[in-house]
Amino acid sequence: MMTILKTMLRGLSRDIHTLVWNIAFPVALLVGLGLYFNQTGYSYRVLGGVLTTNVLFGATIVTAFYVMSHRNRGVYKLLRATPFSTLSFITATTGARTVLMLAVSGCVLLVGAVLLGTRLSLLSLLLVLAVLLVGTVCFTAIGFIAANLSRDESNVNMISNLIGFPMLFTSEAFYSLAHAPKWVVFIGNIQPFHYLVEAMRIAVFPGEAVSAIWLPFGILAGFTVVCVAIAVATFRWDSEKPGSPKKQKTRITAAT
Amino acid sequence: MDSTLIKAEGLVKTYGRKPVVNGLSLDIQEGEVLAIIGPNGAGKSTTLDLLLGLRRPDAGSVTYWTSDPARHIGLQLQSTPFFPGFTALENMRMFAAFYGLRLTSDELMGHLRRCGLEEHAKTDALRLSGGQQKRLAIAMTLTHEPKLLFLDEPTAALDPRARREIRDLIRSLSASGTSIVFTSHDMEEVHKLASRIVFIHNGRIAASGSPQDLLDRYKTETLEELYISLTASG
Repeated sequence: MMTILKTMLRGLSRDIHTLVWNIAFPVALLVGLGLYFNQTGYSYRVLGGVLTTNVLFGATIVTAFYVMSHRNRGVYKLLRATPFSTLSFITATTGARTVLMLAVSGCVLLVGAVLLGTRLSLLSLLLVLAVLLVGTVCFTAIGFIAANLSRDESNVNMISNLIGFPMLFTSEAFYSLAHAPKWVVFIGNIQPFHYLVEAMRIAVFPGEAVSAIWLPFGILAGFTVVCVAIAVATFRWDSEKPGSPKKQKTRITAAT
Repeated sequence: MDSTLIKAEGLVKTYGRKPVVNGLSLDIQEGEVLAIIGPNGAGKSTTLDLLLGLRRPDAGSVTYWTSDPARHIGLQLQSTPFFPGFTALENMRMFAAFYGLRLTSDELMGHLRRCGLEEHAKTDALRLSGGQQKRLAIAMTLTHEPKLLFLDEPTAALDPRARREIRDLIRSLSASGTSIVFTSHDMEEVHKLASRIVFIHNGRIAASGSPQDLLDRYKTETLEELYISLTASG
């Protein structure tokens, strides 16, 4: 498993999608918004917003493309012919993405501290770490679901955007929804990104009651369990037969 | 099972209402080079999937010589299942790990050398030429030293030189004791490589035997003529 994880991390670091979405985009967004508005309170909101948006798009879209690419190239088919389980492979993929996400988040926190003056306590850092870990697993699972529902690259792009953008726009990642229409708030309340943003806001913003984090964090964890279950249930290893059942292995009978 | 590695009996696989594999029985013997041929849509790929245990048949059974066939069977697909951004050596390392093997770079280089890819170990696998990619796909299947190797159209879309290199590689693998099952549309290649041929048409075995047996039985001069004749007859 460690060999696979290490090799994947090496490969991920060379992947153009990963570089664009996971590194350049969040840092540029943080610096751009933070310096433009230049208010201490808003800097913390931007910091939380950038960290969570990076999870939303980095984990969901990149995972969806990655899974689609593997499936179309026959990687999963080949994998099924080996003793290595698909679940272990998915775990390794998610693990590699989580490590990368934490590294990128570290860069974002550093840039925030240097350019925007955002300072996090040790407790805040630990809470940010916990929220990032659960959030990355949740949105990586959503990326798998997007890929499982898609047939090709253009399809996966559309489905990822259909999932990602409504989640972003009905959340409070960068702005308040206090005066938004009720239906927007309602949609926000039934999707996981809202709770990721809420938990992250409490984690990074100094002065918030830390105990308030447990409700959004718990709901996010619940979404994570559901999304992982759906991702596993809908997983397709073969691009040729959309919707075919996940487990169709021949019964193995050994001659005696 | 004596020298039988895989014995499939009465395999049936239906997609929708169409039976893609329809009561097919065949065995794979140790040491042979078996060619599975037939027109597109005849059921070759589905048959391979059933033999490999990737799909469950609607009826019939597959019996293996071992209780853990995945550890002793290698598979090369028509597509090139490489990880984007990975070098040839990294892809080798990854697939060795799928078999629970932690091979050293020297051991992996040995497999690459065997497939004539030593100089390309650090090249991005997706930047290799078509022939080199096919050879890498075969090299990846060798990391766990399989007893039986499935090659799905190993020379498709390759230039004559690359085809010859793959054929030489298949001969070399066969000479070293690896049993090989391959599919191909190139009848000349099938004649040169196969010790036995199974012709699949409409999900059934339409003919089976050694190349010379088939030519004698159907009174044709080439396998291509035999192919045309068997396909025309329905």
